[in-house]
Amino acid sequence: MRQLFHAEGILNRDFVGQITYTVCLEKPCRAMDIAMTFDRQHFSEEDITPEMEESVLLEIREKYGLSPDPCELRRMMLQDMKTEIHLLAMMNDTFIGCIHRQLTERHMHFENGLATEGCLPVDRFEGVLQVTVLVFNVIMDGTRYTLSVSGEEDQDAAPV
Amino acid sequence: MLRRYELHNHTTHSDASITCRELLEVMREDQVQVVALTDHNTISGHRELRELLPAFPGLQAVFGMEYTTYYGHILCLNLTRYVPWDRIDRNCPEKLFAACRAAGALTGIAHPFSYGAPFARGCRFDMHVRDFRDVDFIEVFNNPEPLREVNIPALEWWEDLTLQGEHLAATGGMDLHGHRDMSMMFATYLEGDAAHDPGEDLARAVRGRRTWVSRGMALLWTPEGDGFRFRLEDLHKPGFRPASLYLLTIRSQAGQITRPLEGDTLYLPLSDLPPGPVRVLRLYRKNTDAENLICVCPPMT
Repeated sequence: MRQLFHAEGILNRDFVGQITYTVCLEKPCRAMDIAMTFDRQHFSEEDITPEMEESVLLEIREKYGLSPDPCELRRMMLQDMKTEIHLLAMMNDTFIGCIHRQLTERHMHFENGLATEGCLPVDRFEGVLQVTVLVFNVIMDGTRYTLSVSGEEDQDAAPV
Repeated sequence: MLRRYELHNHTTHSDASITCRELLEVMREDQVQVVALTDHNTISGHRELRELLPAFPGLQAVFGMEYTTYYGHILCLNLTRYVPWDRIDRNCPEKLFAACRAAGALTGIAHPFSYGAPFARGCRFDMHVRDFRDVDFIEVFNNPEPLREVNIPALEWWEDLTLQGEHLAATGGMDLHGHRDMSMMFATYLEGDAAHDPGEDLARAVRGRRTWVSRGMALLWTPEGDGFRFRLEDLHKPGFRPASLYLLTIRSQAGQITRPLEGDTLYLPLSDLPPGPVRVLRLYRKNTDAENLICVCPPMT
């Protein structure tokens, strides 16, 4: 497969929303792989400051009436709080897949009438591919993500 | 005949640990009659489940998706095509509900009081619905969630909306992501027939608000004389532990009554019922502690 598109970005803490990349395919493709990675999914011990603990405690007390002890709060921040980013793809405005598993590296692979779970098989990619990075939660500034689209182009086809 | 629908289930097509085949095996083992496939933000499992289904005689399926948005989860049942949600506006979610409805789906609010941000953004329903006309149901019991903190507030919300005149059904589901014991968990029951299309029976029940959310016993009623005859119906749900005493609460906007059943029936004259155009009913066993809630019945109109 040949890489058709590559993008990288840096997300700030608390961003919620999506970033959509539109790829106009120069040639039809018989197979496609869409890959996304991101880092800083969870806090490390060093990331957590007393101010952050206080802020989270206030938030969950106000929203949910929760008052965990300091040890439990730390566990919740280390294990339960996470950066959550998903990946959605549309071909010519038609849904072809979404990967919802909590992975920091995920692929949508389409080939020979098969597709990664979460995706619908596509025999031929021709037209406009839209890949959307769905950002549900970013817990740390400077969270990096990458997106790449690779395709096996149909060499016999004339350019679109 | 009341049939058991398990309306909230995930597979490896989203973030569950069970495949479509395993989901069907789990449902068959627990004697479920209709299973819904509601993966997060994808309909990719529909075809696989449909192809596997003939190997599971007696088990039927409805197809849907759980819209997992930044501001809440929306269960869509009888959804045949993906409806984009990425322009979701928390202050005007009616647009998404209407679009799903236009695609032929039943739309419902899933686990509205789950814990969301800062842990799992979107799990709590933070949208501001002003117009419920395109909302068909509220998931009042999401079994993995805490009873008093999450499920009872959802039930009270549905009851309050119902008493205010909103036309919403109640549902319950496993939110299944893996193998799990389903005994004494709430499931959705509705009138239907194995010879019917289960999606059509579901649509009829939800739109008519004829759903029972139950752990294994339902309460039915018929007019009798100048009142109503209530009777228990054992739903034969695996693992259900019957009790020797059942209590019925009936609430309207004007008040609430609690009555013990005499054996498995109870007659109430109309004059005993709290007045109002609509009433909500709960069935308990032993006492009216939330932990002893057995069944949420259709509204009595």
